[in-house]
Amino acid sequence: MLFLQLLLNGLQVGAIYALTAAGFALIFGATKIFHVAHGTAFTIAGYVFLFAWRAGWPGWAGAAAAVLAAMAFGVAMERYVYRPIQRHEGSFFTVFVAAFGVGIVVQNVIGMIAGRGFATVDTPLSFSAEILPDVFVAPMLWISLATAAVLFIALTVFLTRHPAGVGLRALSQNPDLVRTYGLSSNGLSVLAFAIGSALAAPAAIVTVMTTGLNEAIGHQVMLISIAATIVGGIGSLRGAALAGMMLGIAESLALQFVDTQWAEAVSFLVLFGFIIFRPSGIFGVVQTR
Amino acid sequence: MTAFLLNLATLAAISGILASTLNFIVGYAGIFSVAHAVFFGLGAYGGAQVALLLVPDPFLACFVAALIAGGLSLCLALPALRVRGEYFVAASLGLQMVAATLFAELKPLTGGIGGLVGIPRPEIFGTVVPVLPLALAALALILFLTARLQRGAFGRTLQSIRDADSAAEALGKNVNAAKTLAVAFACAGAGVAGALYALHLSFINVESFTLDQSIQIMAMVIIGGTGTLWGPLVGAIMLLSLPAVLSFIPFIPPTEVGAVQQIIYGLAMTLLMIFRPAGLVGDQTKGRSTS
Repeated sequence: MLFLQLLLNGLQVGAIYALTAAGFALIFGATKIFHVAHGTAFTIAGYVFLFAWRAGWPGWAGAAAAVLAAMAFGVAMERYVYRPIQRHEGSFFTVFVAAFGVGIVVQNVIGMIAGRGFATVDTPLSFSAEILPDVFVAPMLWISLATAAVLFIALTVFLTRHPAGVGLRALSQNPDLVRTYGLSSNGLSVLAFAIGSALAAPAAIVTVMTTGLNEAIGHQVMLISIAATIVGGIGSLRGAALAGMMLGIAESLALQFVDTQWAEAVSFLVLFGFIIFRPSGIFGVVQTR
Repeated sequence: MTAFLLNLATLAAISGILASTLNFIVGYAGIFSVAHAVFFGLGAYGGAQVALLLVPDPFLACFVAALIAGGLSLCLALPALRVRGEYFVAASLGLQMVAATLFAELKPLTGGIGGLVGIPRPEIFGTVVPVLPLALAALALILFLTARLQRGAFGRTLQSIRDADSAAEALGKNVNAAKTLAVAFACAGAGVAGALYALHLSFINVESFTLDQSIQIMAMVIIGGTGTLWGPLVGAIMLLSLPAVLSFIPFIPPTEVGAVQQIIYGLAMTLLMIFRPAGLVGDQTKGRSTS
């Protein structure tokens, strides 16, 4: 029964990882920007929801505010940090350092405003009930799984059916050709950042309502997103989401053998193994070094 | 006040070693490691165990630390040979996270979260010596070696690998050996810094060897200027004196000094990358850091 319990916990964590990783992979695939401040969008969304909840807003209003805040942050990053750097042909490391700096600033500003340490909101949805002997499940599990599934289907439909979605895929394949055909690559980049960052918001809200978050959680989210994107194969949204789900389940199932402190290390061991033995990931095309 | 300044100078020298050695692989070899604190930690634990179990001889401690850190640098060299760019940064992030867990959990070797306490003061021929002259000597040695290597054949090989590794290989340079050696040199240097740090503070725990520390070392290199000899040193001194300067500013509550300091260096990293990507000391005519 312990196994089943851990598996269910893993599914919930995995749903959160899958959503953030899909957002990261969408941004990286379309714009080739290694958006390490993705975890910061997650943190911002989580705290906006937290403050809205404490201010007595209804849940849907708080959620909408969180999504808007994450989108605004992503778009602002694209507009004011990444684009100026890319204008003078900065290397990927320049982009990485700049985004990391933003992450540090936001983390500490939030720490000063909201206080340090874990914060959470209590709802009836996060109370666990015994569904099988010794197996406890909160309604949040089904909600987070359903949210992840619905959003993922919506994203797939958007990318395959809607002209803007097709444009995003074109941007990831050949940015020069996109410009040649008269599409605005800047506009598409902004769109990628808006959608990608918005995907972090539901994950953040689920986290606030279950395990809670602290001001430094962005680091961990960013690391997991990067890990899932690489394990899944860069350029593959499906791969990133699947790998995120797998990492969540692996972290949870590993608890059967090791203590909780090791859970995070499990994800990074998987990542390290993939980078050394199969850098192209599960679904990735083999890239030249 | 003198004790305070001496302490600051010692820490600045140690950070200077860390920043210079990281700069060696980032600036000259193009290996963007965010796991430098791992090797700092390995050296610190190695040096501390030598002092605790054998003799508090600083030279032996530094030697053992360099050996351990340099040997285990293969963990970093291996992904550096396989992948580069974003992939390598991700691999070094992974290494950093796993190592921090190991440092916290391998209690017999590292003392866990509680750390190692009561590390004896360094002694040379039976007399207790302060760490400052040792750290300054090590820093001078590292800077000298870096300058020599940079101008010599090895440094040129590294820079050619950084700029075009296929071309370097076509010219008959052994790319893998050069990368491995560069990483081993940098990590051994970080190990020496770790041993000196352990002897100086007589107490170490995992807090000093986490991702935050790696990022801070990286910030020193970036703010000073990658690929320059003096840039990392300037960056190290600036970042280390920042908390001291801030504590003299009256309107910042003491509990927030740490946060304000982090905000300042985060902002500095972002703004420098946007407006002055070569760093403070870097060559502005190039206008960009090398990729």
